[in-house]
Amino acid sequence: MSVATLDFSIDETKQSPAIIEVRGLTKRFGDLVATGGVDFDVRPGEVHSLLGENGAGKSTLMKLLYGVYQPDAGEILVDGVSQKLNSPADARALGIGMVFQDLRLIPAFTVAENIALSLPGGGFRYRRQAIERQILDAGEELGFLVDPKALVHHLSIGERQRVEILKVLMSGARLVILDEPTSVLAPQEVDGLFTAIRSLRAKGLAVVIITHKLHETRAIADRVSILRAGRMLASGIDPTSVDDRELVNAMVGREVPPLPAERAAPPDNKVLALRVAGVHVRGDSGNTALHDIHLEVKAGEIMGVAGVAGSGQRELYEAALGLRPLNSGTIHIAAVEMDRCDPGAALGLGAVGIPEDPISDAVVPGLDVTEHLALANLSSLRKGLGIDWSRAREMVVALDTRVGLRMVAHDRTVADLSGGNVQRVMLTRAFGVDCTLLVAAYPSRGLDVATTRRTQELLLAQRSAGAGVLFISEDLDELMELSDQIAVLHNGHLAGVVTPGEVDRYAIGQLMLGGAA
Amino acid sequence: MTIMETPPRDEVVVVMETPSAKRGSDITRRAGGWALAYLGALAVFGAFMAVKGVNPFTAYRAMFESTLLDASSLSEVLIKAAPFLLAALAVAIPARGGLVNLGGEGQIVMGGVAAAGVALVFEGQMSSGLVMVAMLLGAVIAGALWAALAGVLRVAAGINEAISTLLLNYIAIDVLLYLISGPWKDRAGFGQLASKPLADETRLPTIGSDGRIHLGIFIAIGAAIGIWFLLRSTTWGFQLRVAGGNGEAARRAGLPVAKLLLSGLVVGGAMAGLAGAVHFAGVEGQLRPGMTFGFGYIGFLASWLAGHHPIRIAGAALLLGAIAVGGDSLQIDSGLPAASVNILMAFVLFAVLGKNPRLAGASR
Repeated sequence: MSVATLDFSIDETKQSPAIIEVRGLTKRFGDLVATGGVDFDVRPGEVHSLLGENGAGKSTLMKLLYGVYQPDAGEILVDGVSQKLNSPADARALGIGMVFQDLRLIPAFTVAENIALSLPGGGFRYRRQAIERQILDAGEELGFLVDPKALVHHLSIGERQRVEILKVLMSGARLVILDEPTSVLAPQEVDGLFTAIRSLRAKGLAVVIITHKLHETRAIADRVSILRAGRMLASGIDPTSVDDRELVNAMVGREVPPLPAERAAPPDNKVLALRVAGVHVRGDSGNTALHDIHLEVKAGEIMGVAGVAGSGQRELYEAALGLRPLNSGTIHIAAVEMDRCDPGAALGLGAVGIPEDPISDAVVPGLDVTEHLALANLSSLRKGLGIDWSRAREMVVALDTRVGLRMVAHDRTVADLSGGNVQRVMLTRAFGVDCTLLVAAYPSRGLDVATTRRTQELLLAQRSAGAGVLFISEDLDELMELSDQIAVLHNGHLAGVVTPGEVDRYAIGQLMLGGAA
Repeated sequence: MTIMETPPRDEVVVVMETPSAKRGSDITRRAGGWALAYLGALAVFGAFMAVKGVNPFTAYRAMFESTLLDASSLSEVLIKAAPFLLAALAVAIPARGGLVNLGGEGQIVMGGVAAAGVALVFEGQMSSGLVMVAMLLGAVIAGALWAALAGVLRVAAGINEAISTLLLNYIAIDVLLYLISGPWKDRAGFGQLASKPLADETRLPTIGSDGRIHLGIFIAIGAAIGIWFLLRSTTWGFQLRVAGGNGEAARRAGLPVAKLLLSGLVVGGAMAGLAGAVHFAGVEGQLRPGMTFGFGYIGFLASWLAGHHPIRIAGAALLLGAIAVGGDSLQIDSGLPAASVNILMAFVLFAVLGKNPRLAGASR
């Protein structure tokens, strides 16, 4: 069924006037139309879910509402009055608040100090006890209980998020915009957040939740709007009137084939691609980031790694690839012990990584796509003293076709590309190499649904080709769909290794939060 | 209320980031920008001269005529430019690896010292051609080792190479002073601090009617072409560029980053050593205090002016050579001290850096 023929039933009952309504809102960045003629409204006492892929314009639309950007065309009405929002301060004054994905709290301050910073009319003196009292009262009333005396860096991500939301509410917001609030949370924490959001709704406040997860939309949203490529394909429809397939098609613009449900069982062999035994590793600030980790990844197996953000995933990635020295313990790649921190040796044993942060760890300014891919294949491209660049170009063309992630033109400078296009280069480079061990950190970050699906297929293809895959992700659905087993990290400890078919998301969430399975 | 119409599939989010059609106008615009930068530097220095009571137009005209319109001055420019060019390569090569070599001065001095030492030992023992080759070779090795000291400190102990190369300059100058005031002092030198002069046949051969243009100029040009090839076309040059562009990316790609950085500094130091030998054997003929004073810093300037590109560096070295020679005419014609052209050099550098603060970036 094509999207254009979809007949969404629309909730026409305008019970109450909208807190905010936009008409024909357009924002361009150069030639790119980030939002084109968008209509959208939010009413008091509702939870409105804004669905869309990465790059569909969700964040742009919300930043227009929050005064971060100013529209090129169209108007914004707050309480029915046309307003020009020149800055977030204007938006806040009108009762619009936003919680960004990267939480903006000061880690060394207490909760009360952070909140005091954003309260209007703070005056010269910091009246600690009054503020703390206020926080407790507001938290109780709104369902966001936090300890005002706690230092922010002692809080979990979920707790910090609650502080951030409370901060926005206490500064007088009637409409709270939450940008992908669940992406960093364990399932239990998501439930807690949703309970709190429902209590806000009951008090007549409005919440906009940006997401690309359908089940969350179904769990919480009263109305749904769908953005694709800057266009509003459905504005404020009733989610019960459409099924999941229709929603996905509207978001993506085409059918996304499901992953093959049946796949060969992992080979019942003892060949290990990676063996981590008793590993302790220090983090960047000298803290112990991994405690006594024991983990085995067989050849032909995908070992997922789950955990709340910052539980040791990065250090595990780096230790497995010989990038970070071990304080104790051993790491074997393909049965060869890595006796020192030597990325070249790990590469030589066939260990390949997909980095978490390509811009800081893999992208070289000034080099183009071909040069980045040549870097991973230098030994095979040597010609005399130099590099056979014509063969390199042919190799990259062949790789691009084989891997099928549609990189940009190969003479483009990688550092100038958008995040999603950089990621395609990183993935093509990693999937183009025959490897014994693939360590993939958040491989589908920044990708659209179709490319994410292709990436998942490629991970499965590496598995079938006999590579061991260590697959780090923050998306539990993706982990459960792809992994043969999932190792759950909690605060640098291995909280458990589970098999996806045998446990549910909540059991994994329990481990992520430090409880027993 | 709104319902969907499917947007045309391909209008979606394709942003062309570098359309090649714009390229032509880009080049004219960039050339215009550079011209403006240089003219700006000339204007500021002109204002300085005007303040000192010198008519900038006549002064510039005199500088121009005395450097580029007169055959013997032109050869003077080439002679000055040769060590500047080599000294600039000493900066450019490490810069590709993201390193700052402020030690050109010292590496040049050590090159000169090594050349003089080789001459003292071998003059008369071997054919003069062999002595010449040995002098150049000795200078290359001495400059390389002097730079390697800083390189080892950097890769083994993480000591910033900008500081260590700079401090090594002072040690090198003291080594020179010690040698020419003690063991290598020329007894026939009437109390002058200098080493024994080279025999005429061991000086670098010259060409041309006035017999001043020496082989060193061709050595410098050959070195620039060689380094250009090395950086552009070899695996080593590529890897050095990667290490300089993003050291973490280089490490994760399994490149031997420490060796690359060390080799970059060593090859750079070798070029500076060569500069010392060329000046010693082509111009001075004996070691004396301050004989290469400022060459390293002018080389630094030339390399930055040229964006660390070996061929463009040749142009920058010529420009600075001409300004240096023009300084002499400034002194003669306008009564300003010759060193005042250093101010002009500084203005040129500021103008160029102001134009493009990211000049250190890897240009091929």
